[in-house]
Amino acid sequence: MNPASWQELWANIAIFKDAIWAAGLAGALLGFIGVHVVLRRMVFASSAIAQAAALGVALSFWVPALIDPIGHAAGHAAGPAAHVLPSPLFEPVLWAIAASLLATLVFIANPVRLHLTRESLLGFVFLVSGAGAVIIGDKITQEAHDLAAILFGSAVVVQTIDLYLVTGATVLLLGGHLLLWRALIFVGYDPMGARVQGMPVRALNGFLFVSVGLAVALCTRALGALPVFAFSVLPAMTALAFTARIGWVFVLATIVGAFSGVAGYAVSFRAELPVGATQTATGAVLLTGALLWRLVIAQRDRRRARSQPLSTLPPPERASTAVAPRTDAA
Amino acid sequence: MLHADALTVGYDGVAILPPFRFTIGAGELWAIIGPNGAGKSTFVRTALGLARPIAGAIERRPGLRLAYVPQQSALDTIFPISVIDFVLMGLQGSGNVTLTRRSAHLGAARRALEEAGAAAFARRQLRDLSGGQRQRVLMARALATDADLICLDEPTNALDAASEQEILTLIDRLRSRRGAAVVMVTHLVEDGLERADRALLLDRDHGVALAAPSAAMRAAPEFQHIYGRFVARHGHSG
Repeated sequence: MNPASWQELWANIAIFKDAIWAAGLAGALLGFIGVHVVLRRMVFASSAIAQAAALGVALSFWVPALIDPIGHAAGHAAGPAAHVLPSPLFEPVLWAIAASLLATLVFIANPVRLHLTRESLLGFVFLVSGAGAVIIGDKITQEAHDLAAILFGSAVVVQTIDLYLVTGATVLLLGGHLLLWRALIFVGYDPMGARVQGMPVRALNGFLFVSVGLAVALCTRALGALPVFAFSVLPAMTALAFTARIGWVFVLATIVGAFSGVAGYAVSFRAELPVGATQTATGAVLLTGALLWRLVIAQRDRRRARSQPLSTLPPPERASTAVAPRTDAA
Repeated sequence: MLHADALTVGYDGVAILPPFRFTIGAGELWAIIGPNGAGKSTFVRTALGLARPIAGAIERRPGLRLAYVPQQSALDTIFPISVIDFVLMGLQGSGNVTLTRRSAHLGAARRALEEAGAAAFARRQLRDLSGGQRQRVLMARALATDADLICLDEPTNALDAASEQEILTLIDRLRSRRGAAVVMVTHLVEDGLERADRALLLDRDHGVALAAPSAAMRAAPEFQHIYGRFVARHGHSG
């Protein structure tokens, strides 16, 4: 089978545009928020939350079958058109949000009293969610394809409701983050100094963690766990490798995230590759390019430093300054 | 400015030091001294209102503005923070959380940098500076806060002698020009007592929490017990 052409993608854009928009918006939102995630050294948090969201979706499929197995099977037998959700309560996105917010509580909880680190609790959430999703996936044969799409991000087409939710989340959460980005940087960089100066550190951290949970949950439902994890880590790393100006880091991460989502989708269509994996690979290629560029710049700076004659150094003005000898008692 | 009576500090509901009292007045320099693990950080957190006292109470003057200068090692070098952006953080607070009008505050940040002798590296990354330069920038942020009481956590830690003198001079300037009270946690007991008006000696292991004028501290039996052999060795028996 010959690979699809760009013209075919363009000709069928009406079918794929929702998925492309969702990928671009999710990439932009997670790219921006991901800067905080990377700087606060909690990259595995988004992975654990994405896994928790996937478990939530799996549960939303499995619980109705558990409660009413005959009705659920009859629904499937009647075909996709007749297969309706038994109740709005079993809407997968609600379960994804609930599971994500539960996982987010791990950030807010203080694990020191349990003599554990936050990373170990995140590992626990990741493993429980991953194992749970696979086990439950094994029980729900009818929706196994949907679940695989969520876990590995192979959703070619995005439901309109998911696009609306991702759009709403992007507008609201990105708006909040644009307003609070300096405050969030301050409380992440120097939390004690921020608290002393009267910054609402707990509220700001709560906003960050809840926004990460919501963004990851909604985007995971639309795109899958793998690209969501990728979008919340790789664009921020790329931006940090490219520039050291904090404002530009956020701008660049947003652009790289959006580009990874859209370009990854287009490449996956052209080369007939899995969507989520291709979006992740696109982000990884951009990061590799940024790291190589960083390496070249660092080597150039080293060469310049070596070529500077020592005589250009300022004279030691303080050499004649009498400094009293110090006695460090403690 | 700040007064505590029968204050007991600790954590998880457990006191780590005996009750003590102190009063920090405007323009005073306090040296917080004591061995490692003495409870200095717990005291500072309590004094700054970040931790609740186990017993007793701290009274702060209404409207008292506080600032905290962390140890350099507490600042994560992964953050790409420019010097000017770091000093601008000093202008954020409960009344200005978002700092949306950054340009309106640039003048105050630049003045603080000039006062700290750090204006030349305003556009550089904080993580790329030497220890002495970075400490001056940290002091600049404290200046920018215009706080009434500034708490410095080991401000001369890991600095060479010249940089240390520069920082101590800046601390003196904070007090003399701005009338700010300064609380300085330090491991340099001799320097701390020499410069400070008053000292607070803490030692969890020996159950010591003693506030006294610096001149009187050297003669205190508790001080002699903890530091006597060091002071005698260096010939500063006071």
